[in-house]
Amino acid sequence: MHIRIRKDWELPESAATDEAVACSAGLGRRRFLRALGAGLAGAALAPALRAATGGFPSAPDAAYPAGDFKITPENLATSYNNFYEFGTGKDDPVVAANRGWKTEPWTIELAGEIEHPGRWDVNDLIAKLGGIGQRVYRHRCVEAWSMVIPWNGFPLAKLVALAAPRASAKFLKFVAFNDPSSAPGQREPILDWPYVEGLRLDEATHELAFIATGMYGKPIPNQNGAPLRLVVPWKYGFKGIKSIVRIEFTARQPRNTWQQMAPQEYGFYANVNPTVDHPRWSQASERVIGGGFFSGKQPTLMFNGYEKQVAALYAGLDLRRNY
Amino acid sequence: MNTLLARLLQSRAFVAACVVAPGLWPAWPLFVTGDSSVAADPAKYVLHHLGFTAACVLVAVLLLSPLRAILPRWRPVLVVQRHRRFVGVSAFVYAALHVAMHFVYEGGFATFRTDWQKPFILVGLVAFGILFILAATSLDRVVRALGSRRWKWLHRLVYVAAVLVLYHQISARKVFPEQVLWLFGPLVVAELARVGRAVVRGMGRDAGDRALGGGSGAY
Repeated sequence: MHIRIRKDWELPESAATDEAVACSAGLGRRRFLRALGAGLAGAALAPALRAATGGFPSAPDAAYPAGDFKITPENLATSYNNFYEFGTGKDDPVVAANRGWKTEPWTIELAGEIEHPGRWDVNDLIAKLGGIGQRVYRHRCVEAWSMVIPWNGFPLAKLVALAAPRASAKFLKFVAFNDPSSAPGQREPILDWPYVEGLRLDEATHELAFIATGMYGKPIPNQNGAPLRLVVPWKYGFKGIKSIVRIEFTARQPRNTWQQMAPQEYGFYANVNPTVDHPRWSQASERVIGGGFFSGKQPTLMFNGYEKQVAALYAGLDLRRNY
Repeated sequence: MNTLLARLLQSRAFVAACVVAPGLWPAWPLFVTGDSSVAADPAKYVLHHLGFTAACVLVAVLLLSPLRAILPRWRPVLVVQRHRRFVGVSAFVYAALHVAMHFVYEGGFATFRTDWQKPFILVGLVAFGILFILAATSLDRVVRALGSRRWKWLHRLVYVAAVLVLYHQISARKVFPEQVLWLFGPLVVAELARVGRAVVRGMGRDAGDRALGGGSGAY
């Protein structure tokens, strides 16, 4: 059981230094089986870049290239995870999330102040939104470490457009799955389950905000938040809620889980900001995962290096108070 | 069984092995390539293990006194007392390695200029400072120079260090780390038992005195 799943992420894919390689190498077992099942065996021979949930082609987005980024080895990004639903140790989720927890089929509900509420099968939703693409993003954890990850998925703005928010909708409230029978962490009062996150509507429709259904050109592994998760690269990693089952459009700002847990330490915005420290540790620099024993720390960038793109969202906002 | 245990605990080599082994075993995953989270940031792994081992050894040495009070006639507890200084200084050595590793993890001293002000770091540093003072005053010559009463008072600072280490360990994580319960729990229980025992004995003596006084029939 474990062996089958481990193989998915143990493949020596760490050389996926450019997106063409990452994408074409992505004919994962799950997707291959699915492709066969759907009578699309020919797809295996097609030169098209293919990856992620349901065998959708995943074309690299020229606007988000790997560039000078040094992509984190895949085996590290898929085994060093904070996913407290499956335990607080970073090596817990890779084991506990692959003990029979089913992430297919998966339904996501769109609700609240929108014109088109409803429930969607994840694969139908992706088809409706026009498939998926790949973007290479920095990832900065609030614990002062960072990765660079090639995500496969679609812009959150597309999903917002599909939902058609009313004028009264000002925020998005994301809710993760709640299944204590599959997720051992949810049997403990570690956090207030289910995990909740939120974005302002204008943050959600920003071109960088992304829903990932895959990474490294493969379907997203369970431990990374299968089958779909939020990726907001200019915010700390905990904003990237995993395994989403519901997105509610609200008039009032939702209280995210970590804010409820320790409001003096974690805010609603959680924008990466080297000048505003966590009360207990500095945010000025970060350890690069896979960087080596003696690599030390690298300076953390304002908005995690996306300042040019997102700073306008926060014009006039006191970032020290709205951490 | 008891004799075997007593004989083992009497041996410096055995106790030394017990103290050194937990410092070494975390090293083995460093030599194993794989997908363990150790591979993601080995320096962080070593940093945390050295700190955790320092805390474990500190708790171990703190357990010796209350154990002697609770089990004054049990031979293994009696013979192990001779290693108090060795175990105590070992706690300091682990703490020193942990502090040194912090600077490897940070990549130098640049971040320290501001980081020391964080209560989390500061508390750890103060605890380390206390352990340094206690280790430095453990030399025979210094003990003699200080005199046993002053030395004893000074070395009670170790309890302050233990409380600071407890805080330091809890504040290192985003959520409450359960490990501190099974690490510091036994120490708290042993200290409570020592205090409880002293109180009960004191009360027993008082009760005895009253009984004697009543028996004198002064009124």
